[in-house]
Amino acid sequence: MNIIGRRKIWYTISAVMIVPGVISLLIFGLKLGIDFNSGELSVVRGSVSTATIDKAAKGLGYKDLVVTPTGSNETQIRFRDPATQAKHEANHQTFKAALAAEGVEELSFDSVGPTVSKDIAQNAILSLILVSICIVLYVAYAFRNTPKPVSPWSFGFMAIAALLHDALFVIGAFSILGHFFNVEVDALFVTAVLTVIGFSVHDTIVVFDRIRENLRREKGSFETIVNDSIQETLARSINTSLTVILTLLALLLFGGQSIRMFVLALLIGIASGTYSSIFNASPLLVTWNNFRVKRAAHAK
Amino acid sequence: MSFMSVRVKFALILLMTVVVSILALPREDQILKLFGFKNATLQVKQGLDLQGGAQLMFQADLSKTASADRETAMDSLITVITKRANFGGTSEIVVQRQGNDRVSVSLPGVKDVKDAIDRIGKTANLTFLEVNAQTGAQTPTGIDGKDIDSATADYDPQKSQPVVRLQLKGGKSTTNFGDLTTKLNKSGNLLLASLDGEPTFGPATVSSPINDGVAILSGNMDINQARKVAEEITAGALPVPVTLVEQRSVGPSLGKESVQHSVLAGIIGLTVVALFMLMYYRFAGLLAILALGIYTALTVTIYKLSGLVPGYSIVLTLAGIAGFILSIGMAVDANILIFERMKEELRAGKSFVAALETAFTRAWTSIRDSNVSTLITCTILYATASATPIIRGFAVTLALGVLVSMFTAVVVTRTLMRMAARWSWARNPKLYGLKLEEVE
Repeated sequence: MNIIGRRKIWYTISAVMIVPGVISLLIFGLKLGIDFNSGELSVVRGSVSTATIDKAAKGLGYKDLVVTPTGSNETQIRFRDPATQAKHEANHQTFKAALAAEGVEELSFDSVGPTVSKDIAQNAILSLILVSICIVLYVAYAFRNTPKPVSPWSFGFMAIAALLHDALFVIGAFSILGHFFNVEVDALFVTAVLTVIGFSVHDTIVVFDRIRENLRREKGSFETIVNDSIQETLARSINTSLTVILTLLALLLFGGQSIRMFVLALLIGIASGTYSSIFNASPLLVTWNNFRVKRAAHAK
Repeated sequence: MSFMSVRVKFALILLMTVVVSILALPREDQILKLFGFKNATLQVKQGLDLQGGAQLMFQADLSKTASADRETAMDSLITVITKRANFGGTSEIVVQRQGNDRVSVSLPGVKDVKDAIDRIGKTANLTFLEVNAQTGAQTPTGIDGKDIDSATADYDPQKSQPVVRLQLKGGKSTTNFGDLTTKLNKSGNLLLASLDGEPTFGPATVSSPINDGVAILSGNMDINQARKVAEEITAGALPVPVTLVEQRSVGPSLGKESVQHSVLAGIIGLTVVALFMLMYYRFAGLLAILALGIYTALTVTIYKLSGLVPGYSIVLTLAGIAGFILSIGMAVDANILIFERMKEELRAGKSFVAALETAFTRAWTSIRDSNVSTLITCTILYATASATPIIRGFAVTLALGVLVSMFTAVVVTRTLMRMAARWSWARNPKLYGLKLEEVE
């Protein structure tokens, strides 16, 4: 199978996968949950009508009340309590009692103040930057002994290209989910994106490792060596991802409701990571190498 | 090649398997009893989202504290908050400093969150004021909550009215109070005790000087309020005012359901992965499943044992369980890399033993390099997630899973396969998902 020769097809598929999400991200952005935006979130059992909730919240001065039914028989109630943080719990007790009077059981209640949400957002951005830098450095270090024509840095940067692909795909998908299904992103979402990044590199390294080994042993064009390496590692790339995807599917279908979106983000990202490590990271090495060769020839 | 023979390694792995299997089982105390360990219950510590309860985050206002005193202020703040939080009698309360100026309080199983917030967040600054009998003007007396050793709620025997009995600290505090009451007794001025600026006790006349360090204060309150005030005074005032900035509470039913769902998901995940490995890698898959079983038991044992080390116990949250289940899927990754490599070496015509050894050596670099990237992510997640304990839980379980699985997938599987290689039937390529014509 000639994977490298068809690389334009793979790049196109990636573009088709990523562009809608990126457009949605630019137009609608992400729907930020209380972790990033501060506010209150109450989760109740059953599908509860907005009218019932409005009735329970009457007189409490709650603002921006949004009621979203979630998958398995739960309803999320998002609002903002303009009273001071110290009074939130008193108001919440009244609200909870009013819901209980309607026969609605509250499962959990979160209240995040603006200083905390600012910190969570800053930490999220900081961790994204740190993870990306550390991974480029690590991959470049791990591949420092790579024989020519490839520099260790190109391994690092192609691994980053692949992980950006996966991160963008997940973030884009959640932008679309946010706009159409009111899915909010929280601190756990950032964790999912970071884990996806770690996994994406995990997969990519397996192929890169084989390319390095084959570069030492085999004669032949760089393209052929990369193509052979991808094919030789195809079964393990797919199988290692498959076992992870199977466990994530078990979690998505049977696991706890409150982390369902977290698991979904992981699942989307890891599936994308499998694709990008086979069809993007290594072909990009070839594209990049060809570009350098051409430029060098031009310079002479 | 190796300083331990395969047999010794195998025996050690067998021993470890027996030990961790016993410890990981739910009723390990029954088995441990047989060996003479009494009351040796080990438990996986559950986070608030699993056992229900509330997590509160308070922010200290350090703006009026000199920067040199801030550390001391935060330390004593944590001491006072711990005392106050423990008054409710809820078990396993954890009070932790978060970053520069925040304190998180975990209250497992707490019923009345509002009461907890009020109790912990109140500054409880007790001050004694002198009130001029004629003008009503108030002047501070220099005696405050710091001079009080303890406070108890009591009934006034004569009026059968709830009172708060204060025990002053010995030495200067008692002397100063004696001097003050003597002065007031002579001048006829009144004594007022205020709590956080509210006139709580008095103003009252001082009928006789108090030199024994015991002051009985009456105010307009019932016995429950008197008890609460006594608790607040005993725990001491907060050195700096705090405000609640975050609250997360989970009802008990949701936590229980989450645990049940997660256990089910874990069992299904484990089974599906095991079936996949068995179908694809046959006999090698079976060995990988054994290693996976050891992996699971070993990880659970580490969770349980960590509970014995205060400050380092692994607290399992819902996201943490997700990290653990995810690591089950990853645990076999190293095995897949090794087995695929082995198939390749067998196809290239190597003998079984040679293929086995090459596979482990060659696959090791990719196993190491690829797992390091996940470990980097986990480390950074842990370091930057001080505000969000749920993320820390995930980072810890995932990192632990990666480390333990590297051990089980590489060391355990290799030993099992080397043992198996002694039997000729186990060297049959068919057992590893290869066709005979592929090897010839």
